[in-house]
Amino acid sequence: MASADPATRWKYLYKALSKPGPFSDEDWVPGSETISALESSKVLVIGAGGLGCDILKNLALSGFKDIHVIDMDTIDISNLNRQFLFRQADIGKPKAEVAAAFVEKRVKGVKITPYVGKIQDKDEDYYMQFKLIVCGLDSIEARRWINSTLIGMVDFENPESLKPLIDGGTEGFKGQARVILPTLSSCIECQLDMHAPRPAVPLCTIATIPRQPQHCIEWAHQIAWQEKRKDEPFDSDDMEHIGWVYQTALERAKQFNISGVTFQMAQGVVKNIIPAIASTNAVIAAATTSEALKIATSCNPYLENYMMYAGEDGVYTYTFEAEKKADCPVCGNLARKMTVDPDMTLEAYIETLGERPEAQLKKPSMRTEEKTLYQRFPPQLEEQTRPNLQRKLRELVQDGQEIAVSDPAYVIDFRYRLIFS
Amino acid sequence: MADAFPQALAGPSSKERRYDRQLRLWAASGQQSLEDSRVLLVNSDGPWGKQSTGVTGVVGVETLKNLVLPGIGGFTIVDPAIVTEPDLGLNFFLEEESLGKSRAEETCRLLRELNPDVAGSSHAKPIAEIVKEDPGFVSRHQLVLISGPIQRSSLDMLCTAAKDNGIPVLYTRSVGFTSTFSLQLPGVFPIVETHPDPETTQDLRLLNPWPELDMAGARVMNLDSLDDHEHGHVPYILILLHYLDKWKRSHNGAVPSNYKEKTEFREMVRSGARTNNAEGGEENFDEAVAAVLKSLNPFSLRSSLREIFEMDECKNLRQDSAEFWIIAAAIHEFYKKDNLLPLPGSLPDMKAQSADYIALQNIYKTKARKDIEEVVGLVRSIEARLGPRPAEISEKDIEIFCKNASHVKVIHGRNIPQIDADARTTKIIKSNLTNSDSIIPLFLAFQILDDIVTDIQQGKIPDESLDDDVVWNTRIDRVIGVITSDNPAEIDEGARERIVQATQELRRTEGGELHNTSALTGGLVAQEALKVITRQYVPLDNTCIFDGVRSRSEMFKL
Amino acid sequence: MLKIWSMKQKQQQAENAEGADGKKKKKVTAAQLRVQRDLQELTLGSTMKMTFPNPDDILNFTLTIEPDEGMYKGGAFAFSFTVNQNFPHDPPKVKCTQKIYHPNIDMEGNVCLNILREDWKPVLNLNAVIVGMQFLFLEPNASDPLNKEAADDLRTNREAFKRNVRTSMAGGTVRGVQFDKVLR
Repeated sequence: MASADPATRWKYLYKALSKPGPFSDEDWVPGSETISALESSKVLVIGAGGLGCDILKNLALSGFKDIHVIDMDTIDISNLNRQFLFRQADIGKPKAEVAAAFVEKRVKGVKITPYVGKIQDKDEDYYMQFKLIVCGLDSIEARRWINSTLIGMVDFENPESLKPLIDGGTEGFKGQARVILPTLSSCIECQLDMHAPRPAVPLCTIATIPRQPQHCIEWAHQIAWQEKRKDEPFDSDDMEHIGWVYQTALERAKQFNISGVTFQMAQGVVKNIIPAIASTNAVIAAATTSEALKIATSCNPYLENYMMYAGEDGVYTYTFEAEKKADCPVCGNLARKMTVDPDMTLEAYIETLGERPEAQLKKPSMRTEEKTLYQRFPPQLEEQTRPNLQRKLRELVQDGQEIAVSDPAYVIDFRYRLIFS
Repeated sequence: MADAFPQALAGPSSKERRYDRQLRLWAASGQQSLEDSRVLLVNSDGPWGKQSTGVTGVVGVETLKNLVLPGIGGFTIVDPAIVTEPDLGLNFFLEEESLGKSRAEETCRLLRELNPDVAGSSHAKPIAEIVKEDPGFVSRHQLVLISGPIQRSSLDMLCTAAKDNGIPVLYTRSVGFTSTFSLQLPGVFPIVETHPDPETTQDLRLLNPWPELDMAGARVMNLDSLDDHEHGHVPYILILLHYLDKWKRSHNGAVPSNYKEKTEFREMVRSGARTNNAEGGEENFDEAVAAVLKSLNPFSLRSSLREIFEMDECKNLRQDSAEFWIIAAAIHEFYKKDNLLPLPGSLPDMKAQSADYIALQNIYKTKARKDIEEVVGLVRSIEARLGPRPAEISEKDIEIFCKNASHVKVIHGRNIPQIDADARTTKIIKSNLTNSDSIIPLFLAFQILDDIVTDIQQGKIPDESLDDDVVWNTRIDRVIGVITSDNPAEIDEGARERIVQATQELRRTEGGELHNTSALTGGLVAQEALKVITRQYVPLDNTCIFDGVRSRSEMFKL
Repeated sequence: MLKIWSMKQKQQQAENAEGADGKKKKKVTAAQLRVQRDLQELTLGSTMKMTFPNPDDILNFTLTIEPDEGMYKGGAFAFSFTVNQNFPHDPPKVKCTQKIYHPNIDMEGNVCLNILREDWKPVLNLNAVIVGMQFLFLEPNASDPLNKEAADDLRTNREAFKRNVRTSMAGGTVRGVQFDKVLR
C-alpha cells in the first residue's frame, strides 16, 4: 500500500503546530521545524500499567515516533478493567512488551521499544538519550528515584541534560498531573508531603486488642504467618496465601466477635490495593501527554506545575504552582564540581574542605553511593572508616564521581562531583 | 491444588477479579446498574460541506472505551462517516484496514475487543434518518452521548426524545486544546449513595444520647476508681459522656454550647487523663480531647436535605411516585418526630479493649437497626395509603437510604445550554465574562462553532467559512449582542478580547480534534456517565469547560 | 518564562553531553544521605552500641542496648535495623534478634513502638527511634502489649514479672517458653 502523505494523516495535529495560537509564545516558530522536532524527539514512558497504556496510545497519536517504555510487571486479570492494551490471553506476559507491540501495530510509523525491568537497572547514559520522560507509576519510591536521577544529571553547561519529567498518579476518582523541570522547578521530593502515608494501626492493637476486621487481617498477615508459616515467603499474588490469611483472619474475628472480614477486604489490606478505573486513568494520562506535546513543540504554554483532579462530586480541577523547597534534600543541594588532586589523602582533602571558601566544613562525614568514606559518628563506624583517611582519593573515588557530605554545622547536606586535576 | 483448597475459600470469581479495582468504588450494586445499561453514541451528524466528513468523533469513542472496559451492558454507535486518512492520525480504535469503511462499524468492532462481555452495534446513517424509521430507537438506551458540533435540529430532536424517555444526555465538543461538555438530566435526579467523606457523616449523638447509650456512659461513672489499665482503655465516646454528665451537673443541665465553653470542657476532659505513666498521658483521653470541637455539635439538618423535604415530589406523593420520594417522605416523618435522622450506626475506631469496643459498636448498630425498622414501618403505611404499587419497596433500599440520609442529593436536571434559549443561562455567562480568569469565553467560542457548522451543513454558508475571519467576527458580535441585549455597556473590551482569543484557539485546528484533549475529555465524560448510570457519587451540574492551554477546568450551572 | 530548549538548536549527541568516562557513577541516594546525617547526629549513651557488618552499607546495622538501670539491667539486647530506600518516608524496620521476655516485644522479635509504625513521620530521625527503644527497657509498657502474658504478669504482679525477667535473661524458661540468654 502506498504510504499516505503525513500531512493528510496528521492534518489536525499539523494545523495546531503550524499556526500560532493566542497563548503560544511570541518567539515560537510554527511549521515544519516544529513538526520535525516533535517527530525526532525520543521519549521515555515509565510504567505500562493503568496510566502507561493510555500514555503510550496518546503519545503515538500526538506525533511522537520514537517511544521507549519500561515496566517490570506482568499482566494480571485485575488489570483488564482499565489497561486496554491487554486481553485475557495476555495474562502473565510482560506489560511493557505487550503494550509496545499493540500500539506499534495499531499506529503505523511509530517505534516503541520496551524494556522489561526496573528503572534502577538503567544508568544516566540511558536516561540522557530522551528529550522528556512521562511517568505513570504507583510507587513513591520509584518516583523519588527517577526524580533524583534526573536532577543529578543536570549539567548547567549543557541544556540538553535537562529532562522534563511529567508525572501522573491516580487513586479512585482522583488524580494529579505535574510537570517537573529538574533543578528549575519544585520536584517530587519537594512535594513529598502531598503523598499521605498509609495510615497504620499500632502493632499492639493488632496483637492484643483488635476491634476492626482489618485488624484481624493484619494479624493474620503479619503475626500469624510469621508464627505458622515462617519458612515460606509470603506472596500476595498467591491465591492460596491470601486464602490462608482470609481464613485465619476470619477465625480471629470470630473469637473477638468482630464482623465484616471478607476475602476482598483481606486482599485489599494485604496488597494495599488502591481502587482504579479506566476513566480516571484516561484523564490523568492525557493530562500528562498533552503537556508532553506542549513541551516538545512549544505550541502552547506548559503546566506550571501541578494539576489535581477530583471526580467524586462533579468535575473539579485545581491548577497551581507547587513551591520549590530551598531545603529539599534532592534539588536543594545540587552536586557542585570540585577539582581535587587525586593523590591527596582523604584526611588532607577533609582539611581542605574546612579551608575552601565554598565549603568551610569542619566536621564532615562523607560517602559515595557504594562506599562510606569517613563517618565521624557512631564510634564503631568511625573506627571502621578511619583507615580511609590515610588512603589517596584515587583509591577511594573515581574521577567525576559524586560524594555526599554532611556536617553538623549545617542543616543541609552537600554534594560534590570530584574532578581529578 | 483444588482439592487442598475448598471451594468456599477459592476466593472471588473471575469476573470479580477482573473488576476488583472498580468494585471497591461502586460495589456490586453499581456494577449491576452498569451491566443493565446500554449507551447510545451519536458520533457525527454528516459532513461539513464537501471537504470534511464532519466531526472526527475521537472524544465519543474514547468515552466509550472508558465505559466498555468497566463493563457497560452494551453500546450503539451512530456515525454516518467513512474512515479517512485524518481519522487514522487521531483515532486509536481504527486501523489501516479501516480506511474507506464505515467508521461506526470499525470503531464498534475494535471497541468490542476490549471486553467480551459488552455488546456493541453500529449504524452508518445520520441519527435523524434512524429515528424517522424507528421512533423507539433512542428509548432503547439508558444514556445518550453526543459528539458535537452537531446540527441544532438533530441536537434538539435527541435532547427532546431523551427527556421524554427519562434518559440523560451528555453533549460533548472537543476541538484543539479545549473541550466542553454538558449533562442534561431528566427532571429531578435523586442520588442516595453520594459517597461523602466518612468524617462528615459521623453522627455520634453525644449531646442527645438514647437511653442505651446513656446507660453505657453511666457504667463508667466510677472513672476514678478504675485501675490504670482499664482507665487507659475506656472508649473516648464514654469518656466524653462521663464528662458531659459532670459538666451538666455544674451548668444547670446545659451542655457546652459555644466555642469558649467547649474549650473549657476540653480542658476538663484533658485534666482527667492520668499522666503518672510511661507515656505521660493516655491515648484514649487524647482522642476524647481531639473530638470535643467536632463531635459536640447539636444535630442540624443539611440545607440540601431540607430542600428535598420541601419539594413537591416529597410532599405530594402519588401512587406512581418513585421509591426515592416515598422513602424520603417516610424519613421526613421520622425527622419531624424529634428532629433527628435515622442513626447511620457506624462507629469510628478508637482506643479500647476489643470487647468494650464491640459492645459500644453494638449499641450504635442496634439503634440504627431500630431506626430503620421505624422507617420501614413508615414506608409501609405510606404504601398502604397510596394504594397498590407494582412492588413493595425493598428493606435493603430503605436501609441504604437511612444510612446515607444526611447526604442524599437531588439534582434538578437542566437542558443542554444554548445562549439564546434561557435568560438564566445568558445571565450566568454574562456575570462570568466579567471575571478575567474565567474560561467561560471558551463556551461561547464553542457555541459560535456550533452555529457555523450548522449553517455549513444546511448549505447556508460555504465550507470555507470555518476559517473565515469575517464569518467568525460577525458571529462573535452576534453572541455578544445576545448576552448584552439588555445593557450593552456590561461587556468591556477585555471580555470581547477574551472571546476572540478563545475562538482563535479553536480555529487553530479548524474544528478538528487533538487526541490528547479528546482522550482527557473522554475520561471526564465517561466519569460523569458512570456516576449517572450507577446513581452513585455526584454528577456534574451541568457544564464543564476544559482549557488544555492552561491545564485547567471550570464548572458552570448554565 | 523559561524556554526549555530552543527549537533551532541542533540536537546534540547524548554521548557527548557528559564527561569522558563512559559509565556514569551512581549518586548517593536520598536515603543514604539522610542516614549519614542521622548517624552523625546520634547521641549514644554508654548503654548503646552500634555495629555495621558492612561499613559501606549504612542502611543495615545492629543496635545493642545494655540497660544500666531498671529491670533489664545486666542484659544486652540486639536489634537489627533495616532502612529502605524510601526512608525517611518509610520508617526503619527494627527487629529484636533474640527471643526475649518483654511485654512490647513478641517471640518473633517484633517491637511495638508507636514511632516505628503509626506515629512515624519523616521529620523523626534515627535518634528518636533509639531513644524510644531504650525507653522500652526502662519502662516496659503493660497497657498495650505484644506479649500479652508478659504484660499480664507486669500488671498483676510486678515482683513476679521482675523474677521472670531475670530468669528469661539467664536463658531460663518462663511459662513453658525458653528464652535466649542475654546476660552480658
